[in-house]
Amino acid sequence: MREVEERTSGNVKLGPGTLYGSVKRMIADGLIEELDERPAPDLDDERRRYYRLTDLGFRVAGAEAQRLEQLVRSARAKKLLPRTKTG
Amino acid sequence: MKKNPAEQRNIFLTLYSILLLAYPRQFRREYGPQMTLLLLDCQRKTCNGPALIRLWLRTLVDLVSTVPVEHLQNMREENGFMNKLRTDLMAIGGCLLLIIGAVLLLSYGRSHQVSAILVFGFALDAIAFTGIVGNLIVFLLAKFTSIRPLRVALWTFLIVSVLALLASTVIIGRLDSNVVIGYAASFVFWYGLHWLWSQIRLHQGSSAA
Repeated sequence: MREVEERTSGNVKLGPGTLYGSVKRMIADGLIEELDERPAPDLDDERRRYYRLTDLGFRVAGAEAQRLEQLVRSARAKKLLPRTKTG
Repeated sequence: MKKNPAEQRNIFLTLYSILLLAYPRQFRREYGPQMTLLLLDCQRKTCNGPALIRLWLRTLVDLVSTVPVEHLQNMREENGFMNKLRTDLMAIGGCLLLIIGAVLLLSYGRSHQVSAILVFGFALDAIAFTGIVGNLIVFLLAKFTSIRPLRVALWTFLIVSVLALLASTVIIGRLDSNVVIGYAASFVFWYGLHWLWSQIRLHQGSSAA
């Protein structure tokens, strides 16, 4: 929850219900899966469950990122966004 | 007396655990402990009072907005909302026909003093009363606890029937054999219906597996 808030500069604030509702739907759609293996015992908390992207999830996330990239490129071409410094 | 922050956090967590009952049972079982754990973590990392209050408010708003979504999702997953609606409407129609038939039979029995139909009238009264009270209790207990619905039905209808029989005995001042037969029939009817329903669900579950 905190990570999502930090990554989006506070624009997206998730609650537990929204987060686990999304987890449930992503599992049902085959986008993520629960991990069987656990991290090293000193890093592990046995009450926690760990998830990772499936191949399909990875491809869907990539396709979505490409769509957004195209959208940004198009917005930039229309001079809707300030130019970014390159190099 | 002002409670310290740790106590306030525990109170909120306990309250949240109770509020989680509003989610569908399957969702609650699968993700409830994780949601509580997540909230506990967030509370630990939130130090000052106003931020903690913002977190609690956000959590409550999140709960109120996601509970209906999960229930709708659950309904869709169970067996198609429209199919269920059609079955429910057929069941209501069937019940209405039964009630109309019973009322006609009863009014004939009472106007012609047919003793067998009068006993049937007592049974009908008992079935209506225990049906409304008992099924409401069974529904609430089966929805919000993890006790087996058939066991809930057995004890609920037994207790409701015995209490209604005792109340009726106190009101009329004697134990009427017709009333006893009525409540016994009503218990057999409702428990039998729940047993039948559990067998059908069991059969459907094993067929699906």
